[in-house]
Amino acid sequence: MIGTIASQAAGRLYAAVMNLPERPMRWAQGHLPDGRLGWLFVGPNLAIFAVFTFLPIIVDFYYAGTGGTNLLPTERPWVGLENFASLLACKDYFEPNSCVRDQFWYAIWNTVKFVALQVALMLAFSLVTALVLNRKIIGRGFFRAAFFYPVLLSPVVVALIWKWVLQRDGVLNAAFVGAGLQPVEWLLSARSAFGWTVFVSIWAHMGFYTLILLAGLQAIPADIYEAAAMDAAPPLRVFRRITLPLLMPSVLVVLVLGLIRAVQIFDEVYVLTGGGPGSATTYLVEFIYNTGFSAQVRQYGLAAAASLLLAGVLLVLTLIQLRGMRAKGSSRG
Amino acid sequence: MSRIDGSLALQDVVKRFGNTEVVHGVSFDVADGEFVVFVGPSGCGKSTLLRMICGLESVTEGEVRIGGERVNDLPAARRGLALVFQSYALYPHMSVYQNMAFGLENLGMPKTEIQARVGEAARMLRLEEYLQRKPTALSGGQRQRVAIGRAIVREPRIFLFDEPLSNLDAELRVGMRAELVDLHRRLGTTMIYVTHDQVEAMTMADKIVVLRAGRVEQVGLPLELYNNPCNRFVAGFIGSPRMNFLEGRVVDGVIELPGLGVVRTRARLPAGGTPISIGIRPEHIHAGHQADNNLTGAVAGVEQLGGLSYVRLAGPDITIQIPGQTRLAAGAATPIHFPAGAIHVFDADGLTLPRQTP
Repeated sequence: MIGTIASQAAGRLYAAVMNLPERPMRWAQGHLPDGRLGWLFVGPNLAIFAVFTFLPIIVDFYYAGTGGTNLLPTERPWVGLENFASLLACKDYFEPNSCVRDQFWYAIWNTVKFVALQVALMLAFSLVTALVLNRKIIGRGFFRAAFFYPVLLSPVVVALIWKWVLQRDGVLNAAFVGAGLQPVEWLLSARSAFGWTVFVSIWAHMGFYTLILLAGLQAIPADIYEAAAMDAAPPLRVFRRITLPLLMPSVLVVLVLGLIRAVQIFDEVYVLTGGGPGSATTYLVEFIYNTGFSAQVRQYGLAAAASLLLAGVLLVLTLIQLRGMRAKGSSRG
Repeated sequence: MSRIDGSLALQDVVKRFGNTEVVHGVSFDVADGEFVVFVGPSGCGKSTLLRMICGLESVTEGEVRIGGERVNDLPAARRGLALVFQSYALYPHMSVYQNMAFGLENLGMPKTEIQARVGEAARMLRLEEYLQRKPTALSGGQRQRVAIGRAIVREPRIFLFDEPLSNLDAELRVGMRAELVDLHRRLGTTMIYVTHDQVEAMTMADKIVVLRAGRVEQVGLPLELYNNPCNRFVAGFIGSPRMNFLEGRVVDGVIELPGLGVVRTRARLPAGGTPISIGIRPEHIHAGHQADNNLTGAVAGVEQLGGLSYVRLAGPDITIQIPGQTRLAAGAATPIHFPAGAIHVFDADGLTLPRQTP
């Protein structure tokens, strides 16, 4: 008895809540012109985007054209393109010391080296991994999960794990000492720290790209390989003439996504090395962060200008990716 | 240049996937230059058999010989065969020319020779205009011809076709059937053709191998299978519309069909009381009664094709083929006659009973 009353009350309450938008929606349908009702639905989301995405972009453009260290926009003097000019002022672009903003150019060259090495190695590793995981090997399911697992970790967690391994009294050195070797300062020498940032970011992201390539491999019909077997094609030739061309759309996706993410590298490295030793592992985003938010003199204008330059590079890469995706879509269709 | 021997022999070939045996000791011979069709319902093992012959599937037991040479352990590429896939399996990123040339390039053939062979095949298959196109820019029939061209250029000892026409529409299929027969006549190479369509088998084959559930049911010339099927399965599988079957028993040297009457046949019948079944093709049943072997059925439906008509009777369930057009309508009782010489008699296991020697 009490049960039925309770369930009836719950039903009424549910109905009342669900009917709550009834009146305003009827009003909106009656008063808004045809085809405009959609704005009502995307409105809330659009407002959030406006405040947290579009507005900051506009603010960024404004700050890039102003100088000084004051955070209030009204207190900032307009300097036009001066920030860009100072970032780009250089006697020899290959020699950061000859530039006005030497740290910016160190960061750029570090990033270029990092991107080239990280993307090339990651593409190679994920391709090999995908090819192996595409075969009928024992424990294939386990290995697929194992390679994907780091992708699920937060970048900070990834960095902390590897810091724990690589620091002076870390796991790796403990193993070295256990084996009778001298401990190595992995993160305190410029070359080794750079190498480890490349390695750690590959370790963290490779699973994602392996997955894309694996999906690409599995989309290649088995009978094409049988036709190649009938055509007496040796394995290497099958890979070069059949697998690789048919996998190319997926490789392109991996290449461009990998490039974009490599250019944006920040969190893992920031936690792992803090950009050091010196500026050996200071990449572009970290330079922007340091310039705007962590240095003693906070040069918001300079950071904003640098971030716009970075955005330009990412825009170009994204356009290439979109074009590649479109080509992929049309060739499949 | 002496012609390469394109004969094929299978001896007690068995295929097992894990513990499941799908081909149970198949044996037959194919002479050089023969057009042989493997026919059977889906799942009968005909494609598996084909894949074992071409080397894409290993042979569990038994022996496959090509040109007299045992090839069980020879990789697919070195058996000198060419396979046309049901899905065509063209390389989608290569042009028609590259698709046909790929196999020859792998053999290290000189470029001029490749050009000559591809050009010749393209001319034969009317593909010359399409050589630079990608497969996606071709129609189904053109893709089919590219797949055949890829096989031709390799000048194989044996051509293997795995249901090559099943992805084409009905009209194109009839056309391609004729083209393949024509191709066989011109090349004179052994061809092995897998299909589930008995019409393709009847119209194309020099010799038909009827398969069921991984076993050879009968091997023979098309008309031999039609006229003298060795069992009830072959009798039902070959011929369209399929043979009518009626259950009965032997009584006093004739066959009693319960509720329908008695029929005389030319078969050597077993002892009285033995249950047997009879089969008669729709085209062999006569409308109207004669001296004996007469039955009467009610018309359940009529299909008029213009040149001939199919009449379906209910109780007994029988289809009759009548030349020309008919005025029979559903519900009408119609007398029919089974000519004694056209009746096939099967024992309880479905084996055909031999005819009496006159």
